[in-house]
Amino acid sequence: MFVQIKNLTFHYKNSQKPLFENLSLSFKQGEVSVILGESGSGKSTLLRLIAGLEVPSKGSIQIDQAVMNDNFRFVQPEKRGVGLVFQDYALFPHMTVEKNIKFGLTKMNRKQKQARMEELLAIVGMEDYASRYPYELSGGQQQRVALARAMAPNPSLIMFDEPFSNLDSKLQLQIRDELQEILKRTGITSIFVTHDEEDARAIGDRIILMNNGKIQDEGRPEMVLQKNKEKLSLAYV
Amino acid sequence: MLYLIRKMRSQLNSWALLSVIFSTLILLPALLIMIQLFAESNENWEHIKEYMLKNYIVNSVTLVSFTGFFTVLIGVSTAWLVSAYKVPMHRFFKWGLILPLAIPPYIGAYTYHGILNYTGVIQTTLRNQFGIKVDQKYFDIMNIPGAVFIFTMFLYPYVYIITRSFLENQSSSLIENARLLGKGSFMTFIQVVLPVSRAAIVGGVSLVILEVFNDYGVVKYFGIQTFSTAIFQAWFGMGDIYSAIKLAGTLMFIVVLILILEKVIRGRKQYSYSTSKVRPLQPKELKGLKKVAVLSFFISLFALAFAIPFIQLLQWVYMTYDVILSAAFADLIWNSVFVAAIGSVFIIIVALIIANFSRLSKGWIGKLFSKITVLGYSIPGAVIAIGVLTLFLALDEKVITLYEWFGLEPTLVLSLSISMLIFAYVVRFLAVGFNSIESGFDKVGTVFTEASRTLGMSVTKTFFKVDIKMIKGAIAGGFILVFVDILKELPLTLILQPFNFYTLATKTFQYASDERIHEAAVSSMVIICISALSIFFLHRVLEKEPK
Repeated sequence: MFVQIKNLTFHYKNSQKPLFENLSLSFKQGEVSVILGESGSGKSTLLRLIAGLEVPSKGSIQIDQAVMNDNFRFVQPEKRGVGLVFQDYALFPHMTVEKNIKFGLTKMNRKQKQARMEELLAIVGMEDYASRYPYELSGGQQQRVALARAMAPNPSLIMFDEPFSNLDSKLQLQIRDELQEILKRTGITSIFVTHDEEDARAIGDRIILMNNGKIQDEGRPEMVLQKNKEKLSLAYV
Repeated sequence: MLYLIRKMRSQLNSWALLSVIFSTLILLPALLIMIQLFAESNENWEHIKEYMLKNYIVNSVTLVSFTGFFTVLIGVSTAWLVSAYKVPMHRFFKWGLILPLAIPPYIGAYTYHGILNYTGVIQTTLRNQFGIKVDQKYFDIMNIPGAVFIFTMFLYPYVYIITRSFLENQSSSLIENARLLGKGSFMTFIQVVLPVSRAAIVGGVSLVILEVFNDYGVVKYFGIQTFSTAIFQAWFGMGDIYSAIKLAGTLMFIVVLILILEKVIRGRKQYSYSTSKVRPLQPKELKGLKKVAVLSFFISLFALAFAIPFIQLLQWVYMTYDVILSAAFADLIWNSVFVAAIGSVFIIIVALIIANFSRLSKGWIGKLFSKITVLGYSIPGAVIAIGVLTLFLALDEKVITLYEWFGLEPTLVLSLSISMLIFAYVVRFLAVGFNSIESGFDKVGTVFTEASRTLGMSVTKTFFKVDIKMIKGAIAGGFILVFVDILKELPLTLILQPFNFYTLATKTFQYASDERIHEAAVSSMVIICISALSIFFLHRVLEKEPK
């Protein structure tokens, strides 16, 4: 298993009740997994735990055989080699598209950086926008730049937090297809978090249904969605 | 337990370490005073306690209570009138009524004394033009009521600013509802405005009270015995650091009591209640007699609290500038700018480090650090000066032993050096820079920092490449505020300035104390103009910010 989460327990400060209690979950290499759940179900927090932005109170997380945290160790987020695309993209407003993408490329020389940046802009189809600032881009363009930036350092795992929620529905479909195509092409392991059943169905190799910090079901999209139809439709009424 | 250790490990880095070191340093002077407060007493202190302490307390409390009352009266009424009504020159008064804050009370005090005394412009005009000789007692302001007048005129803007911004941004629906329910203006004010803005008013008036406790210039010049003057007397008059500490400790105790009282009075109410939609209150046009009344109130207040002293100072500047403007004056400006700039740079650096740590660590430890940094601003300058002096004298004893050990001539190295003065500024004004930077961080949130870290940058690299660039405005604003505060600072600088080292503020005060008030005008004017510019700048920045 590429990502292995074991007996993970987490509480927010000021909260007695843990959000996760002994949660175990794993992700296969090259797989596109979707965590589907309502807002507040804990799905974004799970991404933050994997990325190292939150500290769990118990349990362990392994990525690609390496222990990210257990009872004795805690690897800082910058050392985990995990890409995360934020819900509102978090593009640095004081940097151009080019600078944003080059930001994570620390171990390269100038030429390599330029080449990698151009390569990624080509992948996301934004070659002409290198010198723009984020506020000069539309929502869909920002989304693509955020993806390019997260992919640039060549992470072993890339995660998306509600990537389509800020886009209008037409653009949403287009970007979703593009994204799926890019992920398939690069073969990168990825985890999506969404509350949208359609997104989950379209993009996922596997769906993990989450509710109140617990995993309700997991498996192939059609099966999970079919089996939990009633529950899901209730939840989204 | 394991969790705690892990949590600590994830945060145990140089940021945490530096934050701990700086907070400890900031806390030390206050702690030293606290400890000494409970030490055994000596003869001087017994004497002070027996015969004078009561007088200090009575005078200080009288000044604070009356100033508090009048600043609330003026501050709240102007805040309400400005935000609810439109009169001619509305925009001018809106920020013009803040301007008195640019005049430090001690400058206001000697200026008013200069206007009103026997040789002042009023009495000479009356004598020479109209042949009227007046009874001096009606023109004497060098007493407690006079000091209350001075404090009220130059400190009411604290109440005005905080209350006004609350009324403008928070209360429109409440006030409009009261109007719709058939309440007249006056009843709306009494029944709605006053109660809802209680927290804001208490916040403003507690700033005023802290300023009055902090003051040394006004009370010294007017010859009123308070804690500040007593601390000076003990240290400079009797060379008795011990009694100075006891006095400082007692004053600190009173200030802490007041801060607790503020919390209690404010209760659970915050300055703002959260509504997602902030709609500014629309001022309505005033007509007829009401318009005349409000306008004359604004004009007289602006005249008394800013225009009259400002014009008088201008005249004195005109009389004396050719004598004053010399190489010595250039030195003075250089000294002031030098200590203010160095002090501000240190404060901004320390504030950035502690604020960044406190925001990223999220837990109670971070909160604790941010509380400690704000402490100094509540403690009067003279008290901090005594605390810092105690600390450095103790350090010097160690250094002297070290010197002797090396066979060198023992001297006081650290005490009364510029480094001691700057350290004291950092303790006193850290809160000013910290608040500005913290609110800058609050606005940008942590998402950019997190994005940077998932892209492989450490906390420190992220800080330089992302965080610091995103809060540039807050850093600049904080720097300006601190710079001006240090430039104006009097009591602390008077106690700690090195031998033969003067700043604009202390030289101004020296001139005034020597009854050379005309000569004090030029340096006063420099201080006032720089303060006014910074107020204008910040006001503009605040106005421009999206609501």
